[in-house]
Amino acid sequence: MTTTFENLKAGDAIDGPSFAVSRESIRLFCDASLDYNPLHLDDDYMKGSFGKTHFGGIIMHGMNNFGLISRMITDWAYPAGAIHRRLETRWVKPVKPGVTIQPVGVIKSKQETAKSRWVLIDVLVRNQDGDKVATGEAMVEFP
Amino acid sequence: MAQAQAFETDFWKDANLRKMWDDIVPGEPRKTLPYVLTQDAIALYCKSVGETHPLYFDEAYAKITRYGGLIAPPSIHILLMFSCTPADDWMRSPGTVNAGQSWSYNIPARPNDTITLQARALDKFIKRERLFVVHDNVFFNQHGEVICSGRGWTIRPQ
Repeated sequence: MTTTFENLKAGDAIDGPSFAVSRESIRLFCDASLDYNPLHLDDDYMKGSFGKTHFGGIIMHGMNNFGLISRMITDWAYPAGAIHRRLETRWVKPVKPGVTIQPVGVIKSKQETAKSRWVLIDVLVRNQDGDKVATGEAMVEFP
Repeated sequence: MAQAQAFETDFWKDANLRKMWDDIVPGEPRKTLPYVLTQDAIALYCKSVGETHPLYFDEAYAKITRYGGLIAPPSIHILLMFSCTPADDWMRSPGTVNAGQSWSYNIPARPNDTITLQARALDKFIKRERLFVVHDNVFFNQHGEVICSGRGWTIRPQ
């Protein structure tokens, strides 16, 4: 069934892509984003402590989560003629090489304004154990 | 990639030139650089997150859509944040931890756009002994149109 503003309802789910995180995928994200922070490159540096936090090894860029969520939202919105207008995210848990992550979305509500129609979506990213690694909210504008 | 080669990938270099949390003045504009967004850079970003939509790759397809030509994915601002800031910008300080971001999208960036950034720290605070800075950012195309605007929360290295 084609997604339309009319037939969407709270609780409807959006499945995002599964993504295998590896040292190579993190390095590729460094090259693609130009974010070469040693958090993502240097295991020796990451053996240290960061205030109260101890990572123990390199971690994936938090914005890799953001990019996957955004990909899920646009791939869902484009066929409906809708536009991805906003995404807010918070990182809950660091992601290390060897982990597989997957974003999902759940329709929270719909709202009409003077000139448009909006769908609000709760988003989260889970690892293969079902742990939340990122949460957020998205807003999509419908025709 | 030519742009990646020209970009200083050693974030330790110039680290002593970057502002620490104590030096950052909320409200003070950050230095920024114009950046020409190439199709190669878009393709590399797409590869890194598995984007395959033809709007980003297939000119013939993109031409008959509402967009009238190729566009970049909305999240291309992830690349633009680093490509539009100089090597001494505090966003590159090793140990900067990203705690979350929010972005609003107006119009898409396109291949060959010349992108400019207006950016500043908006706020700084201490929470649970961690040093936070909130930064806000607006990206424009060469026509002065807003592409997207966003805010981020970072934990600064001590």
